[in-house]
Amino acid sequence: MTSQADFLQPPRPAVWLVNLFTSAEEAESIRGDLLEEYFHLMSKSGVAFARNWYWRQTVKTIAHLVGGWIPCRSLVDHCRRSRRIFTAEVRLRVARAGNICSSSQISGFRTSFQRLCILCDEWDCDRTRHRVDVRWVYRRLGGQEKGDGCYDDARSGPWRIGGSAMLAWVARTGDASSLWMLPWYFADSVAIVIGGAIVRTRRSAAMLRRSNA
Amino acid sequence: MSGRDYLGEFEHIIVLALLRLDDRAYGVTVRQEIEFRTNREVSIGAVYATLDRLETKGFVKSHRGDPTPERGGRSKRFFRVTAKGVAAVNRTQRALQRMTEGLDLIRTYS
Repeated sequence: MTSQADFLQPPRPAVWLVNLFTSAEEAESIRGDLLEEYFHLMSKSGVAFARNWYWRQTVKTIAHLVGGWIPCRSLVDHCRRSRRIFTAEVRLRVARAGNICSSSQISGFRTSFQRLCILCDEWDCDRTRHRVDVRWVYRRLGGQEKGDGCYDDARSGPWRIGGSAMLAWVARTGDASSLWMLPWYFADSVAIVIGGAIVRTRRSAAMLRRSNA
Repeated sequence: MSGRDYLGEFEHIIVLALLRLDDRAYGVTVRQEIEFRTNREVSIGAVYATLDRLETKGFVKSHRGDPTPERGGRSKRFFRVTAKGVAAVNRTQRALQRMTEGLDLIRTYS
């Protein structure tokens, strides 16, 4: 349970993210500055506002630290691809959850969904399919199997729930053949940690070069 | 003189903020000064990324202050503009003035 003293501190995941992406020397000044302004804002505008501000600063700070070594063009391209996938999924969810589409319309949509997948690169495409597959397993575990395949995801939860459901499925059935898919579901978390380590290492090396010069 | 001797837009703003703040210039005050004068929300990461770049170019210098309790015992990193930095600001200002000379910007584009 979170205590009152904990609640007055900046959000822990945000602090952890700043530490992850900055070298020790940078973290000292950046975290100090964030903390100083956080307490100032907390006394002026309240805890909720200050915590919100801290999160916003953390996200923007990380974007700037990462932006220094990832080419802007590749970031933009990736965002566009992700948006295409996301839009297709949202439309599908709305259609299924609201029952506003007839079967023929949905089958037509599946075709356009697949068409959208073709527009994305292979990695995004596979990942999306795997996400939808794991949600199907999740539904089956919950006794809501409809038997119509992997696009039935009206009640889909976040990926991690899907990954956990997959683990539970394997534990229950003893069928470990689908374990190879697990890295896909936790890919975001792993990518954040690896990305943070790379950015931190590169920035530490740059600082060292600067101090040697 | 190469194109690299000029400051970028945000670099220019940061160096001007450092000149205004003089010996009080560190992350928080620089960020607040820019927000106050430009009405633009700036992240601490953007400020440090730009200051690091300016330090690499030799336009600013930094040194550590003493740890303070309101920062959880962490020290401040103070920044100061070097002579090379001041020359770069002057060059950039002159270039901008020359580019805008004779343009009646307010009347033409408002």
